[in-house]
Amino acid sequence: MTNRDSGQRFVTPALLLLALVTVYPVLSVLYLSLHRKLLIFDISRFVGLENYLFLVRDDRFWNALGNTAYFTLFSVVLELVLGLSIAMLLHREFRFKGFVRAVVLIPWAIPTVVSAKMWEWMYNTDFGILNYLLGAEVNWLGSPLWALNAAVFMDVWKTTPFVAILLMAGLQVIPRELSQAARIDGAGSWDVFRKVTLPLLKPVILVVLIFRTLDAFRVFDSVYVLTGGGPANTTETLSIYAYKVLFQTLQFGYGSTLSVVVFLCVGMISVVYIKLLSKGTK
Amino acid sequence: MLKKRILFSLLLLVMTAYCLGPLLWQFITSIKPTVELTKLPPLLPDRPTIGHYISIFTGHPFLRIMGNSMAVASLTTLLSIVIGSLAAFGLAKLRVRYKAIILLFILSVSMFPPIATVSPLYLIIRALGLRDTWWALIITYTTFSLPLSIWILTSFFREVPDEIYLAARVDGCSPFQAFYKIMLPLAAPGLFTTAILVFIFSWNEFLFALTFTSTASARTIPVAIALFPGLHEIPWGDIAAASVVVTIPLVILVFAFQKRIIEGLTAGAVKG
Amino acid sequence: MARGAIGTGVFLLLLPLLILGCAQGEKQDTGASERVRLVFKHGRIAGDPRLFHQLLRDFEQQNPGITVVDETLPSSTDEQHQFYIINLEGSSADFDVLSMDVIWIPEFARAGWLRDISHLMPLQERGKFFPGPMQAVTYRDRVYAIPWYTDAGVLFYRKDILKKHGFSPPKTWQELVATARAVIDKEPGLYGFIWQGKQYEGLICNVLEYFWSNGGEVLKNELPVINSPENIEALRFMRDLLVTYSITPPLVTTAIEEPTRHIFGNGRALFMRNWPYAWNIFEQEGSPVRGRVGVAPLPSFPGKTSASTLGGWQLGVNRYSRNPEAAEKLILFLTSPTVQKTLARTIGYKPTRTSLYRDQDLVREQPFITGLHDIFMQARPRPVSPYYMMITQVMQPEFSAALAGIKTPEEALNAAQKQIEHILGVER
Repeated sequence: MTNRDSGQRFVTPALLLLALVTVYPVLSVLYLSLHRKLLIFDISRFVGLENYLFLVRDDRFWNALGNTAYFTLFSVVLELVLGLSIAMLLHREFRFKGFVRAVVLIPWAIPTVVSAKMWEWMYNTDFGILNYLLGAEVNWLGSPLWALNAAVFMDVWKTTPFVAILLMAGLQVIPRELSQAARIDGAGSWDVFRKVTLPLLKPVILVVLIFRTLDAFRVFDSVYVLTGGGPANTTETLSIYAYKVLFQTLQFGYGSTLSVVVFLCVGMISVVYIKLLSKGTK
Repeated sequence: MLKKRILFSLLLLVMTAYCLGPLLWQFITSIKPTVELTKLPPLLPDRPTIGHYISIFTGHPFLRIMGNSMAVASLTTLLSIVIGSLAAFGLAKLRVRYKAIILLFILSVSMFPPIATVSPLYLIIRALGLRDTWWALIITYTTFSLPLSIWILTSFFREVPDEIYLAARVDGCSPFQAFYKIMLPLAAPGLFTTAILVFIFSWNEFLFALTFTSTASARTIPVAIALFPGLHEIPWGDIAAASVVVTIPLVILVFAFQKRIIEGLTAGAVKG
Repeated sequence: MARGAIGTGVFLLLLPLLILGCAQGEKQDTGASERVRLVFKHGRIAGDPRLFHQLLRDFEQQNPGITVVDETLPSSTDEQHQFYIINLEGSSADFDVLSMDVIWIPEFARAGWLRDISHLMPLQERGKFFPGPMQAVTYRDRVYAIPWYTDAGVLFYRKDILKKHGFSPPKTWQELVATARAVIDKEPGLYGFIWQGKQYEGLICNVLEYFWSNGGEVLKNELPVINSPENIEALRFMRDLLVTYSITPPLVTTAIEEPTRHIFGNGRALFMRNWPYAWNIFEQEGSPVRGRVGVAPLPSFPGKTSASTLGGWQLGVNRYSRNPEAAEKLILFLTSPTVQKTLARTIGYKPTRTSLYRDQDLVREQPFITGLHDIFMQARPRPVSPYYMMITQVMQPEFSAALAGIKTPEEALNAAQKQIEHILGVER
């Protein structure tokens, strides 16, 4: 039964704010991206698609796109595997369950900047606890081979809890009888997981994937604080590149072009996932 | 059976260590004297010190910065709850034109990359003279937290039976009275959950804070920690101390309200 | 019925009023004070902050009616630069006096953010400063800042170890390689040569010293010439320090000044490129290398001249300052011979006035300062261009990529050339 009263005016303040602070800026970035705008020297002129043409030839852009894709792929996959393991582990009754769940939530709750600084210190080649525990002398943040992976590990630590919590909620919805029935039919734990749990968990997994992929693709603060994009730009993601162009040198024209591209990529990813999701539910 | 239980406990222990280990190490770092920071082993400090804690509060406007964070996060939470609950109530219980489109729009806003909006927002904020003020952050955070607020609150309002609202209307309440006298108290748990999440989001945000603030008068904690002053070097001890101080409120929040937080996270994701 | 709408409407209307109210309240606060309140922004001051604050109190005593508040900026120069451009672009009057890296002044001057202070610096006054810093504060023949303290890259070496193995400080890079190779073969655990190779402004300072000491340049007549054979050879040499000669440990590719200073200061390296501030720390009581450290000009490639990158900080006045006269007084005070001498004696900041290098107290307490005089006379500013900050954003990752071996030196410098042409093409 629906209500007859109009809710328009209840919704209006939120819509106004959203339009002003999110929609208008996106349109404005689109406009700026067609300009050569150097804020500090008062240079601003319309250049059409010139910025986009330079972007196509810009090695640094392709490098940033590659880094972002790598970061997104590996962090999301690792988070999903690890998050699923944690969710399966905690999906039972035991003492201190509340306490353990709170513990799992802590990495998610602390500020990203704090986690980045923390990991930067742990990754320190000479005095870092990681090298000490591993008995290694890995130059985590200085070596182009390791730096991006180091950023992935940090992100996995920070966001696996989120994944685990969502998957746990998903597991709770699955009726126990189903897996019990499968067990009675002689299925092993692994079979139950693969044939019963996983398919039923699929919608939740897809939702988690959407959230995490979009977040990882937009990644800025954690990597910016951890490495600043170095060494040799091997950890420069699209958002970091755009930010540097925008605010370290105030080139608002080309910086906006990069922002638009991030926006388009995120849009495309969303569309793909939403298609997948609607297929899954049908 | 026993073997299984031992294995389970062991796994739990590994997981706990993985989640808390980095924080513990940060705490140990924060009580190491500066000279011992560049020595490993030993793991534990020979002469523990609270010098770094004193240093962040005396040599650095850290109290002021924590105050900024507190004010920005609280005011954002308040605004987001007010505007969000109005919208959520409207969407959950009332007749709204283009409801599906509005919901889709709100959902898609939550996917907007902040980097795509930060430069025009900077220009707007500069034009309004709001640069380096709390309001620059409060307005931005409120907006960016709205999709989450509306999403969670809508699911809470939906759970309240329509009959209750209709009964209030029959008794002579206007829709707004019915909203804040009857519906709002019933959705109180949802409001609380939303508030915690919005608070954590505002407390932790970095990109906008980095761009819109520049002095201790509005700078928030994440930016202060990222840009700690040092001369040719990074003052790890001070940073560790500052990290510990700002993490404590969050740890308390998490331990006190883990059920609510999980409820909020899953309401925002699984049910939607 | 309509009360809900009115309520929200009123709230939205009140919002801007609230905001305005707050902003106005703040303005009245600052305007109400009778005294002139100067805000001075600077990077972290070395040593005990009380010494520096005492100087500011002295200034207040000499200038009744003026109070000085100083505020510290983040540690890295890139972050400080970002702070300044965002604030100055927003016409901020929140600070009056700003300390600036040598590389920013053309950009800030071109953007119109700095007060022209040529009247404070008549020609004969300009002659009293080192030429490098003086060149850095001058843009289109106008002076926009006064050099406060100066810096230049130098080579630190272990006197005792070189002597033990019968070597003298190297004059060419090749000698440095040979010496380091010979010594570290006999002294296990000792690093040969450390410097700053992280992707940041300090890396540019390091790399330019190799370019220049091989006769290379970045800009010539305002056109990029960064992919010259000299520069390619110099950059390849730096990469070889890490891989072929392996006298430089890989940790250098993430190192900034202090980590290298710690390593050298703990006696774990033979040679180090760094700024002179490190010497004062090495000579402190309890330092493991006290009395064992020598300072020399950086080596060069054979047949070329040694070059060090000019560093150091300058003081200027914010164009939007509400108290420009008082601000001028403060920068004249802080750059005066007496204050420069005090800063040199207490926290080791190197004076920008050449006469102080003959000052009896200073020479007695810090004998190596006389040697620095010649290095500072020769020190070279990084490319002087309003576009420098955009150029360095291009150079940093490319140099870093070449050191890491991701790109060959040719590839890196060709890529840099292409991007710098794009940046400078803006105006043409």
